[in-house]
Formats: sequence, C-alpha cells, structure tokens
Amino acid sequence: MTQQGPNTVFVFPAWVDELKPFIAAAGVGLPIYLVALVWYGGSPATTDVGYAPQQPVAYSHALHAGELGIDCRYCHNTVEVAAHAAVPPTQTCMNCHTNIRGTSPKLAAVRESSATGMPIPWVRVHDLPDYVYFNHSAHVRRGVGCVECHGRIDAMDVVYQAKKLSMGWCLDCHRNPDAHLRPPEAATQMDWEPPKGVDRTAFGKTIRERLKLAPSEDCSTCHR
Amino acid sequence: MAVATLERPSRDNTSSDPARRAPLVLAGNDYASVTEKVCRIVEVRKPPRAWTLAFTIAASFTGILGLMVLYLITTGVGVWGLNKPVSWGFDITNFVFWVGIGHAGTLISAILYLFRQQWRTGINRFAEAMTIFAVICALLFPGIHVGRIWFEYWIAPLPNQMSMWPNFRSPLLWDFFAVGTYFTVSLVFWYMGLIPDIATIRDRATTKARRIAYGLLAMGWRGSNRHWHRYERAYLLLAALATPLVLSVHSVVSFDFATSMLPGWHATIFPPYFVAGAIFGGFAMVLMLAVPCRQWFGVKDVITPRHLENMCKIVLATGMMVGYAYAIEFFIAWYSGNPVEGFVFINRAFGPYAWAYWTMVFCNVATPQVFWSRRARSNPWVIFAVAVFVNIGMWFERFVIIVTTLSRDFLPSSWNSYTPTWVEVLTLMGSFGLFFTLFLLFLRFLPMIAMAEVKAIMPAPHGEAHR
Amino acid sequence: MPPVELWRSLDDLAGDPTLRELVSREFPAHADEMLASSRRDFLKLMGASVALAGMTACRRWPSELIVPFAHRPEGYVPGSTLQYATSLDVGGAATGLLVTSYDGRPIKIEGNPSHPQSLGATDPCAQATVLQLYDPDRSQGVVQREGSGEPAPRTVEAFTTWARTHFASLDASKGAGLRVLAEPSSSLALLAIRERFARRFPGAVWVEWDPLSRDAAREGATLAFGRPLRTHLALERADVIAAFDADLLFDDPAALANARAWARRRRAPDDVMNRLWAVEAGYSLTGGSADHRIAVPSVLVPVVLGRVAAVLARAGALPGLPPETRAALERFSSHSFDDPRIAALARDLAGAPGRSAVVVGPRQPAAAHALAHLLNHGLANAGVTVWYSEDPEPARPSHREAIARLAGDLNAGVVDTVVVLGGNPAYDAPRDLDLAGKLSHVKTAIRLGLYDDETSEVCDWHVPQAHYLESWGDARGWDGTAGIVQPLIRPLYDGMSAIELIALVADGKTTPGYDLVRATWQARLPSPDFERAWRRIVHDGVAEGTRFVAVAPELSPGAAAPIAALADAELPRAGTYELTFSRSASLHDGRYANLGWLAELPDPVTKLTWDNAALLHPEDAKALGVKRNGDRVAIEADGRELTVPAFLLPGQAKGSIGLDLGWGRRRAGRVGDAVGVDAYALRSSDSLWRAEARVARRPGTDALASTQDHHIVDTLGKREQAIRAEELVRTGTLEEFLENRAFARERVEIPPDAPLWTPHAYPGHKWGLAIDLTACTGCHACTIACQAENNIPVVGPAEVRRGREMHWIRVDRYFAGDPAAPRLAFQPMACHHCETAPCEQVCPVAATVHDHEGLNVMVYNRCVGTRYCSNNCPYKVRRFNWFNNHKHATAVEMMVMNPEVTVRSRGVMEKCTYCLQRIEAVKIAAKNEARAIRDGEIVPACAQVCPTEAIVFGDLNDPESRVRAAHDDPRCYGVLEEVNTKPRTRYLARLTNPARGEA
Repeated sequence: MTQQGPNTVFVFPAWVDELKPFIAAAGVGLPIYLVALVWYGGSPATTDVGYAPQQPVAYSHALHAGELGIDCRYCHNTVEVAAHAAVPPTQTCMNCHTNIRGTSPKLAAVRESSATGMPIPWVRVHDLPDYVYFNHSAHVRRGVGCVECHGRIDAMDVVYQAKKLSMGWCLDCHRNPDAHLRPPEAATQMDWEPPKGVDRTAFGKTIRERLKLAPSEDCSTCHR
Repeated sequence: MAVATLERPSRDNTSSDPARRAPLVLAGNDYASVTEKVCRIVEVRKPPRAWTLAFTIAASFTGILGLMVLYLITTGVGVWGLNKPVSWGFDITNFVFWVGIGHAGTLISAILYLFRQQWRTGINRFAEAMTIFAVICALLFPGIHVGRIWFEYWIAPLPNQMSMWPNFRSPLLWDFFAVGTYFTVSLVFWYMGLIPDIATIRDRATTKARRIAYGLLAMGWRGSNRHWHRYERAYLLLAALATPLVLSVHSVVSFDFATSMLPGWHATIFPPYFVAGAIFGGFAMVLMLAVPCRQWFGVKDVITPRHLENMCKIVLATGMMVGYAYAIEFFIAWYSGNPVEGFVFINRAFGPYAWAYWTMVFCNVATPQVFWSRRARSNPWVIFAVAVFVNIGMWFERFVIIVTTLSRDFLPSSWNSYTPTWVEVLTLMGSFGLFFTLFLLFLRFLPMIAMAEVKAIMPAPHGEAHR
Repeated sequence: MPPVELWRSLDDLAGDPTLRELVSREFPAHADEMLASSRRDFLKLMGASVALAGMTACRRWPSELIVPFAHRPEGYVPGSTLQYATSLDVGGAATGLLVTSYDGRPIKIEGNPSHPQSLGATDPCAQATVLQLYDPDRSQGVVQREGSGEPAPRTVEAFTTWARTHFASLDASKGAGLRVLAEPSSSLALLAIRERFARRFPGAVWVEWDPLSRDAAREGATLAFGRPLRTHLALERADVIAAFDADLLFDDPAALANARAWARRRRAPDDVMNRLWAVEAGYSLTGGSADHRIAVPSVLVPVVLGRVAAVLARAGALPGLPPETRAALERFSSHSFDDPRIAALARDLAGAPGRSAVVVGPRQPAAAHALAHLLNHGLANAGVTVWYSEDPEPARPSHREAIARLAGDLNAGVVDTVVVLGGNPAYDAPRDLDLAGKLSHVKTAIRLGLYDDETSEVCDWHVPQAHYLESWGDARGWDGTAGIVQPLIRPLYDGMSAIELIALVADGKTTPGYDLVRATWQARLPSPDFERAWRRIVHDGVAEGTRFVAVAPELSPGAAAPIAALADAELPRAGTYELTFSRSASLHDGRYANLGWLAELPDPVTKLTWDNAALLHPEDAKALGVKRNGDRVAIEADGRELTVPAFLLPGQAKGSIGLDLGWGRRRAGRVGDAVGVDAYALRSSDSLWRAEARVARRPGTDALASTQDHHIVDTLGKREQAIRAEELVRTGTLEEFLENRAFARERVEIPPDAPLWTPHAYPGHKWGLAIDLTACTGCHACTIACQAENNIPVVGPAEVRRGREMHWIRVDRYFAGDPAAPRLAFQPMACHHCETAPCEQVCPVAATVHDHEGLNVMVYNRCVGTRYCSNNCPYKVRRFNWFNNHKHATAVEMMVMNPEVTVRSRGVMEKCTYCLQRIEAVKIAAKNEARAIRDGEIVPACAQVCPTEAIVFGDLNDPESRVRAAHDDPRCYGVLEEVNTKPRTRYLARLTNPARGEA
C-alpha cells in the first residue's frame, strides 16, 4: 500500500518491491545466458556437423566402401604421401564403370566428364578454414584412422560432416591421442576394434610409444 | 559570465575547530532552499540558453565522432596516421587522458568521504558523473583502435571452440579488467548516491511521466530509517571498495608502458607518476566544469569559494608531484647509464617533438604555480584558465610519452615520425563532444548536487520536517 | 621433359575465363572479394566462385567445390609443388632458374644450382618476373594501329595471314627495305632462324640495341687484341681485385658468379682473404663492399687507372711493354689529378702478379678497357684470374652505331618495314635520334612486346609477346653455358615468342616454338640417342660442355694512341657537372617498371622506392641550394632539360651527379606509369653513359618514398645514428680480427644473464639463422625472395612515405666512419625469433607465441591487431596490415600467391616466420620417411637466393650444422643482446681487408 499523505507520489504499487530480487537475478543471469547462447549457437557442433550438400553425382560411399568394401586408398590414393587426400579423377571411376553399369543414367555426368575432360564439380564437405593446414599423410601414417575425423563414411549414402572439426576438437585429440590411435596399417579400416579384452586407450598408448608420437600443440603445427 | 571576484572566506579552513571554518553552504540557505535550488535546475521547463547552446555544439561533435568511427571500422586503422614504428598515437593518448580525467570523481566521493572531508559534498555528485562519462570516452579508444574490432571479444576470457584463453601476461588484459571494474564500481557508487535525491525529485514531480521515470530510478525509496540505515552502510562499503581502485586503475594503465621494454616507457616510477597525474588532471577538469556550472545554475552558495580553493590546492600539490616525476625521469636516464634511455630523453627535450614536450612542461608545471597566491585561487577566471591549461598539458604528457618514445627506439633504421590525420583529430574532438553531451544531459535531468549529503553537513534545522 | 598435357589441362581450369565471368556477372560488385575469398589454391578459388554463383550457402564460410582432373597426369599429386628448370635471357646473357609450380601455376623463381651463371642464386629482377607473368596490364591481343593511330584489336590469325602476304611482297626487293630492331639475345634457335632469315632477305639489316650496352668492353678488346673478345673473370683465384667503375658484384652479366667467387674468398678469413678496390663516382654495391673506395668523377676513373699503370710501369711490374705504350702511360703521371691511395693500389697489384684482376666497367671508354687488358697481361693475370673467349657475334656493329645507322636509314626513307623484337626503343633509344618519331612515319612497323608500350604506340602492329614462362626457347649465359627456356603454363593471353615471329617472317609459316628449339638442338646433339640428351638438357636446364672455350690472345700495339688520349680527360668546366647514368637496381632498363615488387624494392644505397633521384655530393647540394632530399633541381644536358628531385648521397664523388635510368615510363601500365623521372630524356647517342650538365635549383620539393631515414634531419638524430651504426654493424679489419677474434662480441658490454626462472630447454629441433655481414653485398635478393614466398603485399608510394612498407626482411643501410668518405654498411633485418621475445608477453590474445622449436610464431587468424607487439619489438620487424592490401587483386593476380602461406587480412600483424611452411614440409616428409632432417635440407627463401651464401639456416642442436658453426664463430654477435632478447638470428661481424697502413 502506498504511503499516506497529502500528495501520493508513488505511481508503482507496493508489490512491485517483490520483483526487485528477480530484477537483480535477471541482471546477473542474462549475460551468462547470452554467453552460453553464443557459445553453443556459434559452435561448429551446431553450425557444421551434419552438413551434407548435394553432390553432382549420387555417389554412395555406403555402397562402394561399405558393401563392396573398396579400400579408401583405391580412390583417395594420395592420402599417405600428400597433404590432400585427393578426390579421384574421373578416370578412376571409369576404370570400373566402363564395364559395370556402363550405361546407367546415374553415371551420365561421369561419362560426360571423362569424355570432355572437364572435371566433375564435387562439393567440399570437410572444409577447414584457409589458414588451417591439415596434412593427411602426417595423420594416416601415424595411426589416426579415417574414421576419427570423417566418421563412418562407409555407412553414408550421402557424405556428411560427422565431427566438429573445430580447433578445440583437434586439440582434444592432440592432447590425449591414445583413445584415437590404431595400427597405421588399419588406418582405413572403418570398423577396426582393438584386440578382445584390450582397453582402447591402453592399446592406443602402446601404439603411441611404438611410433614415438608426441602430437604437437604448437600453433605453428597448423597455422602458417 | 560576469566577473565576480569571490567573497573571500573570512576564516581559517585548516582550523581543527569546525565552527571556525568557512561554512560549506552560504547565504543562510536552509534545507528547503537547497532542495529548491537544486531541484529547480531539473524541473524548469526551459534550460538556460548557455546550456542549449553548449548542448547543440557537443551533440554535433558526438555525431562527428560517430562518423569517424564508422569510417575507421569500414576502411581500416590505416585511416589514422600511425605507422611503423609509431603504432600507437592519438588513440592510446586519448585513452590514457580520459582515464586520468576519470579519477577525480571517485577520489572525491570515496577517499575524501573516508577521510571525513565534509567539503566534498558540494562537488562529489557531478565529479562522479564526470568520472563515469570520462571513463566511457576512455573505453571507446581501446575499443576502436584494434585492427579487427569484430574479434575483440577474444580479449575476454570466454569459453570458445578454439579452447583458447587470452594471454594473462599482457598488460592490455590487466587494463581490460582494471578499467572495467573501476567503471562498474564508480557507476554503482554514483547511482547509489543518487537514489535519495532522485526520490526527492520524484516526490516533487508534477507530471505522471516524471513520476514514472524518476520513480523507476528511485527504486521505491521512501526515506524510511531502515532505508537510510542500509544506505549509509552500503555507501560506506562502496567507498571502501572504490578507494583502492582509484589507485589501482591508473597504476595498471601505466603498466602498459612500464612493463614494456622501450626506453622512455620501461620505468618503475610510472604507477605513482600516472596516479598523481590523473588526480591532477581530474581535479583540473572538475574545476573547469564547476566554475561555469555554479554560475549558470545558480548554486554558488553550495559550491562555495572554499570548495574551489581546496581543489586549487590539490591541483597545485599534484602538479608539483608531476613536475617532480618529470625531473626524476631525466635523472634516472642519466644515472642508469643506459645510452639508449639517455638518448630518448635528450630527444624528448631537444628532438623533433621538443615543442610537445615544452608545451607539456609549461602547462603542467609552470601554470599551476599561480595557485600559490590566494587571489588567484579565488578568481574564477584564473582558476578556469589554469584548469584548461592543465588539461591541455596532461593530454600532451601522454602524447609525449607515447610518440617520442616510439618514434625513435633502438634501431635508427626504423626511426620515423608521426603526424595525425584529420580523422584522428576529429575523433579526439568528437570524444570531447561525447563527454560534454553526456555531462550536459546529466546536469539537465539529474540533481547535480548531492542534496541529501549537503543537508547532512548543514547547521541543524529549526524543527522543519525533512522532505 | 615435363608432360605438356599437365599444364595444358590445368591451365584450362585455371585460365578458364567462363568461371571468372560467371562470378563477375552474378556479383559484379564483389567478384574480387569472392575470387579472393579462398586463396589456398586456385582450383579451390575457382570452386568458391562457382559455388557462390550457383548456390546459397548457409554456413560460416561459402562452400567450395573440388574440381579434380578428369584424367590426372601420371605420377602427379594434386596440391604439391614441382620445380622446372628454365633460363632468363636479359641483355644477351642468361641466368639459369628453377621455377616452382603449384598445380600448374608458376609461383616462385629461384636460381638453378647446376647453372654456372646462377649457382642457385638469383637477383631481385629475375625473381620478380613471375609477377610479370600474371601482370594484368600485359597486352592481351594483337592490335593494329592504322594511319590514325587508333588501336584496333585483331586476331592472331588475321595478323599471321597479313604477315605472310606482306613479307612475301618483300621478296622482290630481297628485303632491302626491311629492318629488324631486336634486343640482344643469346638464343641459338634465334641464330639458326636468322640464317634462314638472311637467306630469304639478304638486303635486310638486323639491328641490335641494348640501352645498357656493354659494347665499350667489346671495342676495348678490339683495341687491345684486334678482335672483339669477351672478358670473363675467375675471382676465386684473385687476391687483389681492382674495379674501375665496374659493379661486378651486382650490375654485371656474371654478377651472381662473381659475387659467389668473391664471397668465398672472404668467408674463411684465416687463409688469404681477397682485397677489393673500387674506383667510382656513385656508390655501387661493389663500392659498398670494397675494402678501399676511391670516389672520383667518372671522367677521372681512366686517369686513376692510367696513373696506376704508370706507377707499375716505372716499377717494372709490366714486363714487355712496347715503348710507345710506356710513353703513353707517362702522360698520366703529369695529370693534375692525384690521390695517395693510387700508389697503394699499384703496390698492391704489383704484389700479387697472377693473383690480381683489373676490371673496367661498361660505362668507361674503350681505351680504358684496352688499358685494363694491358695491365692484366702485364701482371700475368690473363688466363688466370681473367680469361677471354671469342665473341659469339664478332661481326656485329656496336649497339650505338647500329641504332644510329638505323635512324639514318629511317631518315633517308630507304626503310619500309621495321620489325621490333621486344625491347622498348621508342623509350630507351638515344633521344637525339628521335626513334619514336621516325618509327611512327615508317610505312610498316611491327612490334612484338609484352606490353602495349611506348614503342607499340608508334608501330602499326602490336603483337603480344609470350612471357618466357609461357614459351619455348634457349639461352646462353655470359660464359656461354646454354640452357633451355621451357614454358610452365600455356600463354595466358594468345602471345607469340620472338623466335616464333621471326620464323614466321623467315619461313612464311608459323612453327610452334617447341619445334623450332628442338630442331636447333637436334642439329647440335648426338643423333643416335638425341631424345635422351634432349630430355636431360630440358630437365637440368643446362647443356654440358657448351661453355665458351678460353682463348689466349696477343696484345696488339694499336692501343697506345687511344690510351694516351685518356690522359687528356679533364673535369667538367666550372659551373657544369658531370652527369652519369646508371641502370636502376630494381627496374633494370625500365622493362620491369610495372612490377610492384620491384618498384617498391628500396634502392640498396639510397633506400628510395617508387622514384629515382639526382644523387648529389652534400657539398654540391649546398652549392646548388639544395637543403634536403626531394628538393627539385633542373638538369640540362645536350639541350634537353629535366626536373628531378635531388638526393644527398654521402660518398658520391664531388662534381658528379648520378641518375638512374628506367623510370618515368609513360605506358608501362597501371603500376609503373609516371613513376619517377625518365633519365633517357637526357641521353644522346654520343653520351650514352656520361654527359656534361648544367644544374640549377628549382622551386618545390618532392616527397620521396624512402624506407629509411624518414625525417632524420636533426643533428641530434644524425649523431646518434652514427654512434649506433658501429654497434649494430660491427666492423673490423682483418688485422684486428686476427689480433682479437672476439672483437665483435666485446664491442658491446652484455650484462650477466640472471634469469628469474629456468630458461626453456629446446630438446628437439632448435632453429636458428646466421647472417654473415662480411659476405652481404646488400643486393636485396632476399627481400624479393621473401616477398614472393610469403605473399607479401605491395602498398604503394603513399603508404611507404607513411612508413608502412611490408617487407619482412629489410636490408638496413648505414653510413659509418668518416663522413667525408663514409663506409657503407648493410644489415639484413628480419624477425630475430628471440627466445625471450618481448612481443609475446604483451599480446592480449596470445596471437604471437613460442613453439617448442623456438620459433616465434605469429598466428594471423588469432590476431586482433592491437599492434602492441610491434611497439615492444626492439628490432621493429613486425608489419601491420593497415588496410585490406589484396582488395583490388584480380583472380589472375592472385595466381602468384603461394598456397602454403596464409594471405593476411586487414588488421592483422605479420612478420618473418623463418619460412615455417618450408620447415613443416620437410619435417613431415622426413617423419613419413622415418629419417632425420639433413642439414641444409630446409632453406628459407632468403637464404636460397643469396648470391654470396651470407644467410645460413638450420638446427642449432645439430652439432654438425652450418648454422651451429656460424653461431660458434668468434665473429658471431647478436644485435641488441644487451636487452636480453636472446635472438636466434645472429650476425657474423663484417671484416674488411685494407692494405697495410691504408686502413
């Protein structure tokens, strides 16, 4: 109830006072909420994971890598020697598809490219910023499997980004690599498991020690 | 304004017996008249013509500031005259200048409060306001001077996908916290003090709109004993909290230079030297504002000659400290036997930027000396003039420190000079525009004098109810 | 031989205009940004643009396309680099090059180690030619200018058909009215075609013109030996080298080889260190590196030479001297000019018979050269430190005569067709001949040129020339070593090479350059396994055993009279000055005027960019009323006047004014137009190198864009600079060194190091760099190499004036010692990668940090641009992007970018990284092959191109590494060590070897 007197100066009813604590709470809480919002909203987990652009050719890794079990390196043959795991030339497709499904309309674009020599414009799925220099050979040869960054490609009809590929995510692995290591020869083996009864991390540790791996956290490792 | 040599305080303000000191409120004002005087400023429908004129000018400069910042952000820091080696120029000079200005307010309200300096009550309110606005201007510059403003939030330790912390070893980061904290505390402190007076204005409000506006700000202040009790407590606590900040903030700002390795920056004397300089400049600014305000808004009785005189004395004292610091710098440069250091100071005094150096010395060391004379201390024109000089001098002090040092450091091959572009000059003027705009708005819409506190130091009323 | 298919197919991708057009059409405003948005490699770049044009992307950055080959060439790995050998022929002398190609784009030019005229090094110009390849201002199609001169585009076919008929019509007259005006070329293929040409058009005249002609040397040889022999140096054998107005370490067809040989003899000071004497007017780099430098006006240089000869003759150091020559030499002794150091020089030469070399530069008259030959024979240097070979074209008249005769013929109207092969005669021919005017009046003038320039403007036909990186050819080095010029990319614009055009003229039909070159070599190489030999040559870039054969000529007595005449040389009359012309260190003869890299490359001595200036001795300047650099003066020579900004150069000979050629182009392109002043305007056919000039102060001052000494006009600053120069570039004589090997280290007192915490240990690699100031000649090759390797932008004169140049490695130049005869001191300065780096501590966002191998890493993508690091860097080697420096770069220009280095955006700091990308590449390769990194395997761009091997990089933890040895060398010191930065880049003190008692 407002104060008695000749002129009532209070325009706000008394119960407004009850709100004060809440106002205070909001004052503290709002900034925190905003930070959290930006953090999660802006994180690659939200913006990038699941990115699955439509490709000019409906190529299914699930079929080729999964069912047919073609090794990754049959097409991405530079992965062990170069920074890029090069997307194969049309020629590679034609190696088989001159005979198999030679006339399938799905492969029209491939045949045309092979004929005209103009490339197939694939859409890049795993796209790091231009100031990040990732080297495939350096990872694959050190027992980091394709699956660690690309997920179960062999189960994807349309390739999508499975992991965050954010800097923090890279660092997590560079800091504790054990859980992500495997014998280099099994790098392309999507469903690789450590031997029965051996703990993955413990096994990874043995690999790390065998290959004398010391993943660097230096900025210079990825940024030039 | 008309020249009015102020009536001399008849008594000795240094006497230990308060009764023998000059009164802090003159012309037999009582509570009601003080309330009336102060509130009228806010309530009159039409502001003084001086105010309107000043506001128009200030506001237009604020507009210019906006344009300059826009141009800067869209085009790049290159629109300024900076170069290698002089990567900081007007930007940081202005920053340090404004932060310095922002010292007097909290000093007056907090430290003088703790020292029971009653004369503070007349001036603390708008000194505090001045502090807030100065710090706002200060924060503007580190804000806009970086190359990629859109990434500036990286300086704050926020969670991020890079899992990167800022570099806590960097003085710039300390700045970020020091100035930020100082600003927050000063703001709260100022607002706290405002509440009872806002309530008074609310109570006197005649229109609904004013009631709601001031009502919101007053946060339901009813002047009950409980209110007053808690208010006094909180005020005391905040004062205690603010006091160390007054000293810390400019010490930290000085670390930007002191912890670097450049001759002329790398000096242990910087923290005290900067704090003294800040108080010096801050009080000069208070004087510069107080003299015309008390005239225009007719509060001469509350901001009395005694207030002005006290501040003149502080300016004189701090001015001499600053002068001492200048001397010591040269001494150390020679005494350290470091040739590079030595050259930097010779170069300051006799190199291409000697003009700036001697301007600084004249304004900061020579001019305040007039305050040795009591007549000078009681002549508003003189006071105002000196205050202006000191402000110029303090700006140049920062300019000299930053530019002369950077322009000629270790390798002569990279020596270069620095000339500001029109963008920088307009930005500086714009920052003054912003400052005065805010200050004038404050004068117009908030009580420029802490009525409640002034009344507390007035002789006891004759049984009149306090409203 | 590289698969031709490779660049063809790749070029189809890269060059494909449709993609670019598409973007431009879709987003006219933003086309550039978008094309620039993804800079990692061009394929991605094209991808991005298409993606943007096509789809709308809802991601943080635009989605990109991957466009793989349809048919990938055998053994080709996308995204990797390949190096191809080729040669660059400038002024008839070739340098062997290795060109790095990334996905079919040449992006970097380096020296070819197996080429004797390169030895792995290059000069700044050769490196910058890759920028020329992508220069959007290059002419992009045939242009015909009818009588009106209005340019009309034509197709190449249109031209060839026209040409066939036109030259067929000349058969009747046996080509009597036909002239070919060509720039010098050493191409064997061209020689072969010229024979066919001569057979078809016996009446035609082949005119050769080189504005920087070295024919004086030829004529000198003719005087001395009766025939035009070519002189070569073997400096590795020389103890005493006397250079008379000869910049043999920089402005010389064999400069790279000379510099290498010279430096090798200074590297190990314990065995005999050579001594270099320089007698010259203006400061050349050779003069800068000399142990003794005698600054005299160019006109007196032969007098000094003569006096030296006279002293030697008297001392009997020149046995078998014919009496008349002896008499001739005597005349010099009576010359008014003398200098105490002349006797010392003579003594020095006499003391090293068979181990000395007397060299005279091309700007001196023939007789001076003859005199030098005389001395070298007398001192038994001939065949040891100096050797001779037959001139490849003995019958050729001198350039000066040839061009003068052509002008005469044009006047007489006996010429109806002129074919201008390259060069730019309308701009650089002696102005008194007014070739431009005459060409415009000749009936038919055909111009083959890279640019539609001053010459093309006055010709009826302009045919775009294919860049040497786009075409086949061959070229011989100064020593005769032949190499193949092979293309790395298909012509970006339909261009033609010189041999192709001449073949068209000679044979009346177009033949691909490849066939022409191959045919030429088929004739020279063993027939049975030609294919293998040919492939080897193309692969190596060098043809074994093609070096000229040395000949041992006899002196002919005829030289006495002209030599005697030299003694009459007199100083310019009072009130006049001697004006000497010199090649621009960056623009050469002007051909590189449109290359931003070179226009912004500081002149080694003056540190001027984007401008040339009249170099004055400070006293002359005072006399003329020139107070500070940039004050305008009017120079009047041979009736023509030119207003030039003046530059006060300590060390310039009094009474002599130096002026660089190659500037002030009218039609160079967007970059090079109206930059500097055109010194050719003052040049006449009888005063190619030296003119008598009247000079007067003119009102006004030009703001010169210098990268050093901005605003150091006050005596205070000057004095301090002199003091510090001694501490920064620590110099000592050989004697001092042998007395106290650690003299450099003791020059500055280093307070004992008392760290508050245990310093970092660097167990793995520990990268470090060492720069030998004794070897550094200040040629700036490193600066350009760095610019090309690290995508460093060009900022333009206005920004340089502000002090915002971006070079990561600059070469500081100091004048030290006696101000009257100052010593020139160079110091390459880049990030020192301090172990306790002041920059790192102050960055609020940790954008510059140390890595575990001790590199001071600058993380561009983390930088917010507070510039605090730059303030706190005592070496001031950090560079800030004040604006978006690539905003206006077109897709073609972006092709020169190195994909392995991030292109920095606006508002970020950048600096030397020790070529991190090269370190990483080698590290990963080595790890993949499970082997250790070999010393010298990682070579930063700057070290790679250095002609004198002054820069050494490597692992300090490797006890065998050269850099470790360098850091342990007693001469080694760190700049500003006293502020405890613990720099990883250290310097080896500069040693000079002055003659006893002459220091």
